[in-house]
Amino acid sequence: MNGAHDLGGMHGLGPVNPYPEEPLFHEEWERRIFAMYVATLFVGIYAIDELRKNIEVMHPTHYLDSTYYEHWAYCVEKSLIDRDVISEAQVLERMNQLAGEAA
Amino acid sequence: MPTLTVDQVDARILKGGSCRSQEVVDAGFAAGDSVIALNINPATHTRLPRYIRGKRGTVAFDHGVFVFPDTLAERQGEQPQHCYSVCFTFQELWGPQASAIDCLYIDMFESYIEHIEGAQP
Amino acid sequence: MSRHGHNHSPSPSQLSLRVKALESLLVEKGYFESAALDRIVETFEHKVGPRNGAKVIAKAWVDPAYKQRLLADSTAAIAELGYSGAQGEDMVVVENTPTVHNLVVCTLCSCYPWPTLGLPPTWYKMPPFRSRAVIDPRGLLKDEFDLEIAANVQLRVWDSNAELRYLVMPMRPAGTEGYSEEQLAELVTRDSMIGVGLALAATA
Repeated sequence: MNGAHDLGGMHGLGPVNPYPEEPLFHEEWERRIFAMYVATLFVGIYAIDELRKNIEVMHPTHYLDSTYYEHWAYCVEKSLIDRDVISEAQVLERMNQLAGEAA
Repeated sequence: MPTLTVDQVDARILKGGSCRSQEVVDAGFAAGDSVIALNINPATHTRLPRYIRGKRGTVAFDHGVFVFPDTLAERQGEQPQHCYSVCFTFQELWGPQASAIDCLYIDMFESYIEHIEGAQP
Repeated sequence: MSRHGHNHSPSPSQLSLRVKALESLLVEKGYFESAALDRIVETFEHKVGPRNGAKVIAKAWVDPAYKQRLLADSTAAIAELGYSGAQGEDMVVVENTPTVHNLVVCTLCSCYPWPTLGLPPTWYKMPPFRSRAVIDPRGLLKDEFDLEIAANVQLRVWDSNAELRYLVMPMRPAGTEGYSEEQLAELVTRDSMIGVGLALAATA
């Protein structure tokens, strides 16, 4: 699809600023979603192309304005829902439950 | 689906999951062929970027047979096919102001390219 | 769907909670154990990195037969050193020469050879690098990486849009004739294997 991910040749996206080096992960949730991306592929829930596709359907403003691991969180959840592994309702319910336990 | 356990992880990482296909598929192109990237605009997943569509290049080498992401992403099968490294000049991609010597290599599935009619291989 | 219809990011705490919920559900459904995730993180955060690729390059610099194998069948030659698997299943090594400089990018996502380089740096995954590398690579290398490619050197940009993963073999620095393979590997930086840098100069 002609989405925001198809960046080759686009102008005006600002400097790369490669230095100083950033850590591989900034937050613990980034580690977890990275590992889940890999683990769900290892167990064969879906093809990697389904994950990529589900990054590309992000709204362009959201895609360009978010970090890479946020893309991964988005596509893992959406691909799991597409495959009927989980439902949106289950995710929200579990979030409430976990928030309640933490409070 | 069996549970992925901690003791399986190292071996699983080393094994990976190649997208190379074992199917025997004829190659429609060979190194040196002049090709044009299709001008397609699917609303579905594709690995043919916009900046390559409609551009003319030369097949550099054949990577062999791979499963096709465009159909796999849509859960419509593997459609194994050859994937080629295709070279496009910067002037072809970006016009006469671009570098006269630089070039871009990109991997083109069989379904993304056509022979240029009348071009000598 | 509450999040998927939205154009903007959830707050960091919502995102963290959401990811926790995903892990909790998938563990409960038996897809993996949390310890398996810990192991995946530990591997890619601490064990796999560009030192692997540096050993491959250093070996190719000192061993002409290995270099030949590396360029002819990169995947098999890299596997000889024990590096293979996830996101390095099908490798292509491209060689820098006095007349050719290679640069690797993934314009569509962030494809990168994990077994030899580890996980990509943040800038490699972000839009500024991915957009400019294919239209103005000389300006990009000069402005952002302080690397000027001579006008008579051909720049070859590799957009890794399919399932091949690319590794650049930088040129061996001058004055390293007496160096051991281990000493040479110290000169091979991650950036030189992406093509945004060169191998470090000889120290002595």
